[in-house]
This record gives sequence, structure tokens and C-alpha cells, in this order.
Amino acid sequence: MGGAIAGLFMISAARAAKAAVQTVLVSTSAPKGYDPTQHKWLMCVDDNKCIGCGLCAEACKKENGVPEGPYFRTWIERYIIPKPKPGSGQTRGEAIVDSPNGGIPNGGVSAFPEPTLPKDQIEHAFFVPKLCNLCENPPCVQVCPVGATFRAPDGAVLVDPKYCIGCAFCVQACPYGARFLNPVTKTAEKCTLCYHRITRNLKPACVEICPAEARIFGDLNNLHTDDPIQKFYEKNRVQVLKPHLGTEPRVLYAGLDKEVR
Amino acid sequence: MKLPPQILRLVLVAMAIVGSYLIARAVLTPPTFGEYGWYRGAALNLIASREPVFAGKQACDECHSDILHNLAKDAHKTLSCEGCHGVSREHSNNPDILPVKATGSHCIRCHEANLARPVWLKQIIVKDHYGPKCTECHLPHQPTKSP
Repeated sequence: MGGAIAGLFMISAARAAKAAVQTVLVSTSAPKGYDPTQHKWLMCVDDNKCIGCGLCAEACKKENGVPEGPYFRTWIERYIIPKPKPGSGQTRGEAIVDSPNGGIPNGGVSAFPEPTLPKDQIEHAFFVPKLCNLCENPPCVQVCPVGATFRAPDGAVLVDPKYCIGCAFCVQACPYGARFLNPVTKTAEKCTLCYHRITRNLKPACVEICPAEARIFGDLNNLHTDDPIQKFYEKNRVQVLKPHLGTEPRVLYAGLDKEVR
Repeated sequence: MKLPPQILRLVLVAMAIVGSYLIARAVLTPPTFGEYGWYRGAALNLIASREPVFAGKQACDECHSDILHNLAKDAHKTLSCEGCHGVSREHSNNPDILPVKATGSHCIRCHEANLARPVWLKQIIVKDHYGPKCTECHLPHQPTKSP
């Protein structure tokens, strides 16, 4: 019995030593004094303001070193709702959704070309910025077999790049298509809300760069007077994407069309 | 009372199994596991340790507050400096490194007519619009004024 207790002591001592060594080895330039339990981040998108310039998607790629190609942590979709066929009895045609290169223009020119459909056949068209929906009940976290993806206390859904095995279960589980496998690191990647920026009191890159203030970002636990989040709430009626799935997203949209999923 | 030897052997085997499990768990579990939940608490720091790329409008305001003051008076008040001038983090640390020069293609990026753009946004059809250069008629920082 005494031996067992001594053994347990030895294990705990070894663990403490291991932890000390790891903190020394892993000491990075991570911001000090950020307590994730003291924040509650929230992203809002005012869809009436999105002009489809693609700056957010481009800034996100630059900020987070996302590889070239069809890999996006945030992107812009264009919805085109055609007029219904005469005599069909429908109120509107079937929506056409496109997102060439995630909304990033090539060579700095207009991100989205004019719609291929003739102007008189289009009922209306609009852009929708998409990103990780920061679910309260994230399906991606449930399916991860190694516990590498998790929901931080501040609301950000993150991937531990050291523990991700790249099985892509989470990529399939995400109902919003917000995840992808990074072809360089072979691990799952997603919007981190620019975690390295928000922990340093900076705005996420997409929010910083948006020229139309279509993205509003804030901390529900530290709301200051005339916070943009507060104003957004007062002015708009908000909704979330795919509410029937019960994922409880923390990305709120204003001015969405019913076709947007 | 003395335990029958076969029971004693079973108890010892069970204790060995449970003990080896506990030892394996203690060795294999990462030290910061369970700090906030069922994941490595150190992962938060690891993800946050990335260096920011964009400097942000506040960094520009330290030296160029006069331009930002003018910007805030006109229709382009919501624009971010780095949206047109490009990533300027190095420039904010060392003013000798100049940011990318903004060109006319930045104007077209937002202002070229597109059916999906909201109607409140001023849009032009570039090929029908006068002039080879936007800045001949429009001040980028105060777009309603002419140079």
C-alpha cells in the first residue's frame, strides 16, 4: 500500500516537472493577461451593407496564411433570385448561388462579374458573407475523435493544430461548410475569429478591413457605451443560419433572404 | 478471515489493471488538459501566439491623424486604411518601409456596377464613365470633393 502511495506521489511529481518543462519549451509570444473566461465574443453581419468587394476574404487569407486555392475561412456568396416562369404559379425562381474564388477578385478588379442571366429576368440579387457560425452546440466538436477541436470559454470554436489528425470528420459535420483541410499542414482549419488579434485587443482582419461596416464584432461581457454591437441589436431584427439544426450560432445576420442557408 | 487464494489473485490482477490505467493516463494526458474543458488549455495560447498581419486603423491614427480626420468627414469614413493601401504593419513599425501604393483598381473593386450590390452604394459602369484616372476628379480620402 505504501509503495502505491509513493508511486502516485512520484507520478504527480513527474507530471509537475513535465508541465514546467512544457511551459518553458512552448513559451511563445502569446499575449499575456488574456483570460478567455472573461470574454464572450459575438459576430454580427448586416447583410444590407455587404457590397461584395471580397476584401474580407482576401484579408482573411493574408492574416491567417491560408494557402492559395479553394480554401477559405470566410468568403462571400452571391445569390441571384430569378423571376418565376410565367404561369408557373411560383412567387420566385430557383436561387442561383455562386462564389467565384470565394469572392476574391483576380488582379484587384470587381470581385463578382455581372450575372450571366439577363437583367430583366432577375428578381433580385445580393451578397452574403459567410464564416464559421460559432455554434453554442457545435457539431464539429462532437464528432472530433481526438478532442482536437473545442469551444473555448470565450465562444470561439478552435482547432488544436498539434492534436488534429486530419481525419476531416469535422469538415463533413459542419452544416455551414466553414471548415477545410489545410493542404500544407494536413490539419483541419477554420475561422478562429482571428484569435491572435482579438487577444491583443485588435479586431478580426475581416472586420477591420470591411469598407461598408457590414461585419460588426464585439464582446458581450465588456460592452461599452455606444458599442456597435448594441447599436446593431437596437436597429435590426436578427436571425441565424439553419436555426432548425439547433446549433445555436453566435453569428447573427440582419437582412437575410429566406433562400440563404 | 483469510481470503481464498483465487480471490486474492483476482483482486491483485484487478488492481494491476486499474493501476496501469491510472499510470498511463497520468503520463499520456497533456498537462493543461481540463484547464477550461475537455481539451488542451495550452492550445489557446498556441493559436493566439500567431503574429498579427494587419496593423489596424488605430496604428495609422498615431501618425496620420490629419488624414483620418478628413476621412471621417466624408463618405469614405467607414473604410479601413489597409483596404486600399495594403498590409502596413511593417510601415507602422518602421516608417521608412512604404506601404503598397493604392491604385485605381481599388476604386473599381467596390464601385463597378453590379446588380447584386445594394442601391445605396454609388456605382459606375467603368467603360462608360469619364476619364482614365479616378483621382483626376475624385479625392480618395474625401470622395465628394475634387482636387
